Amino acid sequence: MSLGYKNVNFSELKKGGFIRQQGPDLFIMRLRSIGGHLTSKDLENIALLAKKYGRGEVHLTTRQGVEIPGVRLADYQELIAAIKRLQLLPGACGPRIRCIVSCPGQDVCPNGVVNTQEMARQVDQAFFGRDVPAKFKIAIAGCPNACTKPRENDVGLQGVVYPQLVADRCSLCGLCQSLCPGGAIKIVADRVTIDRQRCCGDGACIASCPTNAWVAERRGFVLYAGGKMGRQPRLGDRLLDFVPGEEVIPVINSVLQGFITRRQGNERLADTMARLGTGIFRKLISYTSRREVAAGGRD
Amino acid sequence: MGEIRATKRLDITGDCCPITFVKTKLALEEMQPGEILEVLLKEGDPLVNVPRSLKSEGHRVLQVKKVRPDTYLLIVERGKLE
Ligand code: SF4
Ligand code: SF4
Ligand code: SF4
Repeated sequence: MSLGYKNVNFSELKKGGFIRQQGPDLFIMRLRSIGGHLTSKDLENIALLAKKYGRGEVHLTTRQGVEIPGVRLADYQELIAAIKRLQLLPGACGPRIRCIVSCPGQDVCPNGVVNTQEMARQVDQAFFGRDVPAKFKIAIAGCPNACTKPRENDVGLQGVVYPQLVADRCSLCGLCQSLCPGGAIKIVADRVTIDRQRCCGDGACIASCPTNAWVAERRGFVLYAGGKMGRQPRLGDRLLDFVPGEEVIPVINSVLQGFITRRQGNERLADTMARLGTGIFRKLISYTSRREVAAGGRD
Repeated sequence: MGEIRATKRLDITGDCCPITFVKTKLALEEMQPGEILEVLLKEGDPLVNVPRSLKSEGHRVLQVKKVRPDTYLLIVERGKLE
C-alpha cells in the first residue's frame, strides 16, 4: 500500500475523476462521455478496465458517465495511463465544469432540430474540467421536449427551429394547422398564417409539410441558466430566447464570468441568480446580438 | 381540390407509436404508386409522427380532415417505388 501511495501524482488527482468510495483504500474511477456518446470499442475497453482494476462492474451516472468502483490507489497511475492509451476520457468532480450531458439530437431522434452531439463536443472542448467556484453543469437537448432536462442544470441549451412559409408551395392540405402544438398556425381565407408568439420552435410543421412549404428560417438554442437539483432545487430561467449555434460558446463564457464575479462564498449559479434576480443577472451577459434577444428570438 | 377516391382505408385510432406508422407503411406497401390511402388517426403523437414518417419515406399527405374532436382523417398518396 505505501508503495502505491508514494507514486501518486497529486496534480493529476486534483483534476478529479478519482473519488474516494466507502470501504478502506477503495476509490471510484469516473470516466466521462461527451453527450452520452460511446463507441462499442469504448465499451469494450471500459469493460476490460473494470475487470482488471475494479470488480468487474460499472455504474452509469446520471450525467452520462461511467464509474468503475473498487479501484485501489496503488493502481491509479497505471489505470490513468491505460485510460489515456485507450482514448477514454476521465470525468470530473469537485468545483469544476462537469460532464456535458446531451440527447442524441437531430442525428438520430426524429424530433431533433439541432445537432446536439456536435454542440456537446464543442462545449466539452471549450469548458470541460475548468475550475469554477462551485460545480457547474451543462446539458443540451435537441428540441423543446427537453429530454436531458436543461432547466435542471446551471446552463441548459434547448434546440429550436423557427419556420418560414414559402406560400406558393402550399397545397392547403391543412396538416400544419392540425398538428401545431401551440395552435400557432391557422388557415384563414385559404391562407396559412402564423402567430409567432405561440410558436415553440419544435419544427413539427417543417418536418411534416408534404410540399416543403414550411422551411427552417433559423436554428439555434434557447438558453436556460440557474437550474440545480439537490436539497434546494431550482429550475433554470429562460435567459436568452435565441442563441445561434456559433454564439453558444461565447454566451456560456459570459454566463460563467457573470457568475464568477458576482457569486458569494461557494454558492451555485442558481443561488447567485436567486439572490440578484434574473433580470439583473441577465444584464451581466455581454451578448452582442441584442436585436435578436430583444425581439424574443422571433421576428 | 377535387374529389379524391381512396382505394383503401385504415383505422389506427386504437394504436400507439410505432405501430401506427408500421401499419400505415404495410398498407401502403400493398398499393401501387399514386393510389390513395385513407388513414383514421388520433390527434397528438400519431398526428405529429405519422405524417412526418410518411414524408421521409416518399409518400404524400394530400389532405387532413378533422372528423371528430380528437380524430383526423389523413388522405395519403402512395409514393413512387424506390
Ligand atoms: S430532447 Fe428532443 S431531440 Fe432530444 S431526445 Fe428528446 S425528443 Fe429527441
Ligand atoms: S402542411 Fe404545408 S401544404 Fe399543408 S397547409 Fe401547411 S403549409 Fe400548406
Ligand atoms: S415550429 Fe411547431 S409550434 Fe412553431 S409553427 Fe411550426 S408546428 Fe407550430
